[in-house]
Amino acid sequence: MTLDNFELIYSRNRCEIKNKPRVISKLKDILGEQNVSTKRVDLLAYSGDTTLIGTNWMLKGKIAGLPDIITWPENVKQISEILKLANEEKIPVIPRGEGSGVVGGAITIYGGIVIDMKKFNRIIEINDEDLTITVETGINGMNLERYLNAKGYTMGHIPQSLYTSSLGGWIAHRAAGQFSTKYGKIEDMILGMEIVLPQGEIISIKPIAGASRGPLLEKLFIGSEGTLGIVTKATLKIWPYPEKRSLISYAFPTIEDSFNAIRETLRENVYPAVIRIYDDQETDRHFEFIKEAKGKVMVVFICEGNKDLVSLEEKITREKCQKYNGVDCGEKPVEHWLETRFKVTETSSTPTFKIVFDTIEVASLWSNASRIYHSVLKAMKNLKGVLLITAHVSHFYPNGVGIYFTFAGVPPKGISDFDFYKMCWNTTMKTVIENGGIIGHHHGVGINRSAWMEDEWGNALNLLRDIKKLLDPNNILNPGKLYQPIWSKVIE
Amino acid sequence: MGLEETFKKYKWMIPIISNAERDIRSILMKNFRTRKKNFYPQGDYKADVDNLIKCMLCPNMCRFDCGTLQAASKETMSPAYKARIGYYITMGLIDPTKEENKDFIDLMYKCTNEENCKVWCPFDFSVVSLLESVRDDLNDKGLMPDYCKAKISNLHETGTIENYNIFKTYKEKGIENISSNESVEVFYYVGCEMMKFPDVVNANIRILRQAGIKFSVEFEKRNCCGAVAFNVRDMKTAKDFAEKNANLLSESGAKIIVSDCPGCVLTLTERYEKLGVKIDAEIIHIANYFSRLIDEGKLSFKKELQGDYSQVTIHDPCLLARNLKDTTSIRKILGEFKHIKIIEPIHTKDKVHCCGWSGTAQLADRDLAIKEASNRISELIETGSNIIVSACPLCELGLGYGLNENNKEKIKIIDLSEILIKQL
Repeated sequence: MTLDNFELIYSRNRCEIKNKPRVISKLKDILGEQNVSTKRVDLLAYSGDTTLIGTNWMLKGKIAGLPDIITWPENVKQISEILKLANEEKIPVIPRGEGSGVVGGAITIYGGIVIDMKKFNRIIEINDEDLTITVETGINGMNLERYLNAKGYTMGHIPQSLYTSSLGGWIAHRAAGQFSTKYGKIEDMILGMEIVLPQGEIISIKPIAGASRGPLLEKLFIGSEGTLGIVTKATLKIWPYPEKRSLISYAFPTIEDSFNAIRETLRENVYPAVIRIYDDQETDRHFEFIKEAKGKVMVVFICEGNKDLVSLEEKITREKCQKYNGVDCGEKPVEHWLETRFKVTETSSTPTFKIVFDTIEVASLWSNASRIYHSVLKAMKNLKGVLLITAHVSHFYPNGVGIYFTFAGVPPKGISDFDFYKMCWNTTMKTVIENGGIIGHHHGVGINRSAWMEDEWGNALNLLRDIKKLLDPNNILNPGKLYQPIWSKVIE
Repeated sequence: MGLEETFKKYKWMIPIISNAERDIRSILMKNFRTRKKNFYPQGDYKADVDNLIKCMLCPNMCRFDCGTLQAASKETMSPAYKARIGYYITMGLIDPTKEENKDFIDLMYKCTNEENCKVWCPFDFSVVSLLESVRDDLNDKGLMPDYCKAKISNLHETGTIENYNIFKTYKEKGIENISSNESVEVFYYVGCEMMKFPDVVNANIRILRQAGIKFSVEFEKRNCCGAVAFNVRDMKTAKDFAEKNANLLSESGAKIIVSDCPGCVLTLTERYEKLGVKIDAEIIHIANYFSRLIDEGKLSFKKELQGDYSQVTIHDPCLLARNLKDTTSIRKILGEFKHIKIIEPIHTKDKVHCCGWSGTAQLADRDLAIKEASNRISELIETGSNIIVSACPLCELGLGYGLNENNKEKIKIIDLSEILIKQL
């Protein structure tokens, strides 16, 4: 099936499904007629993810990858049967949640069968005594969180993609939410999982609060981006909905002052749920209405939880901010952030001007954070065509940070938007590696980072590749992601 | 956003553009200048291309609350994808005249008008408003789908959405036709779909009588409000029905028009006004009117519950809650009675989820609409209540289809007036 008017970006080495009608018939036997489609209207719907260069392509009628067959399994046995069939027929299988990934993780670069997990959206149990929820992984993030809120709980996992991402996607890409400094990343929240392995075997890792029973096997699957298995069910930590929230903001003279204030706060074992540093450019962009912040570095904090603890956390946070020359800007900047944090408008406005726009998040220990921030800004400014490079820092640990760069630019004459996009990504990746950072913090590797995995992991990548071969000898599950470069490392 | 606010919001861009290298700035300026040429259609079109583009390029921030997407569990039904297909049809990338593209055309009609998307939209529009603009262009090309044409044909032939005049079934259904040659105080505008619930119509008539209101219903003269014509965007038929209804209501002399259908209220007001047809009367939903009559002391009820309604769940009709912004009338009226416990579902009031039976989705894909209804039933019965109270015939119809063999006997879907009539 083709979509003649649409140019296919990833068109090389597509799989050939031998005797496709027989495969479709077998899939319909497994899933029922209504849960299998090769209709053009469905194939086009699954032809990409939310990788931002995709918005530029979309306007021009280009598609990233074209799947051959879409499936909507309703139970774990059906997923197992699909994978067994795919192994027999050597057909790629690409698991998909809500398709909100921004690094190409769900793009069907070789075609194949998409397993859409949307029908795995059942909430199985909330256990108040254990403070856990057991839920299927196709559930939309917002639908999960607001169900919990209605029952008096929160998961504390609130990524900006909350409205448009799934639990399965979070697990696959090791997601982090805006409240991660207190509640942790998704990997800190998972206690147990049900997983279908690439050859169809179903395994169940029971919920564990803390144990010693051999290696932490479950961690292998968290962040495996649908290459080592499909997580179908998970048991996760939840928390009583916080009784108090405290909103704090300070403007600092330099990003280093803000780093010091936050680092020292965390050293006290004080964890504001939200901490967000906006560099001077982003402060001007987002908080132009706060006069005290002009030309400075805005930091917003939210402390939440037990009211007595929140009061104490607020006191200590304020002391550290004042120590490093922070100017108190009150609650208004935090309220503004709360009000606008899900109002994503940039992706809808830049592509018609042929502007290439994206965000790249990276990680660092504290000791390298400032250097990485300045180095990436410098390297990107030197890249011809880049008009804007800014950063905010929004995930913090006692030992380090996650830095979130935003860039926008127009490709110079003679360079395609895709090549320009790759150059921007590669420039950032190279600079981060050279300065002792980590290539990603919470969006995953997908296609965009795969060329830099060897630099990131060294020879440990071979072990990851061996594990992939062991579990998935036919390379069925989400091929072309994580372990092998799809892009070259071209920078100029 | 005003000009000053827009300037403030984007002034940070000025140094970025002015500091860019000359050749890059020149490319950027060219991109600004040629934006329309590059990405907008040539010739005449009615599609709202500006907002179709915004919607299709958005990361689908409203997807979690889109009833049809949640019902279908398919990416194909996502709001941004619908906008994308609307854009491609408008741009000619998908040729709507080809039979092989029928699925793409049908997608333009698979929406329930619930407008939950608008609640979360960073640009404050609803996807149905975009789809309607695409339907306008399809209609201009003579490409209205057959399932829409059938409804328009019914309107022309019977004056109602059915292939018979449903208002003229009042006799066989045991509903009294109240007609008047003199001016009345109130016109009770019964919705076409409410004629399928004679007990509700009779209850409303009795309640209005009890309050001493001089009113008429004029079943022999009635037509549909024309909502379906607005939905499928046959605006000529819509205007024709607007004028017919305006004449009838004007002749009645009523200063207040009450309807048991929120869709009728919306159509008789906002939608008619957009076509330049203004009805010189106050037009409100009947729950709102009953609430007012209670406040004015014209209507009173026994406080002790007369039926087994001790525990109820309210399903707010989305048109009443979101478009007409009334989430209080039903609750206020039920609050009149002792020992009634209202258990709110998780998605309620202006965040209500649709019954599946609004808009054109039920015409384009009946199974999809039933699944949406079934999803809503699951949310409502999660409260533990077996009685669902609503105030819209479409909701009562849709939710009824959403019941399955397991809960059909146990769950009762009733109109507010069915409680009130027992309390009179």
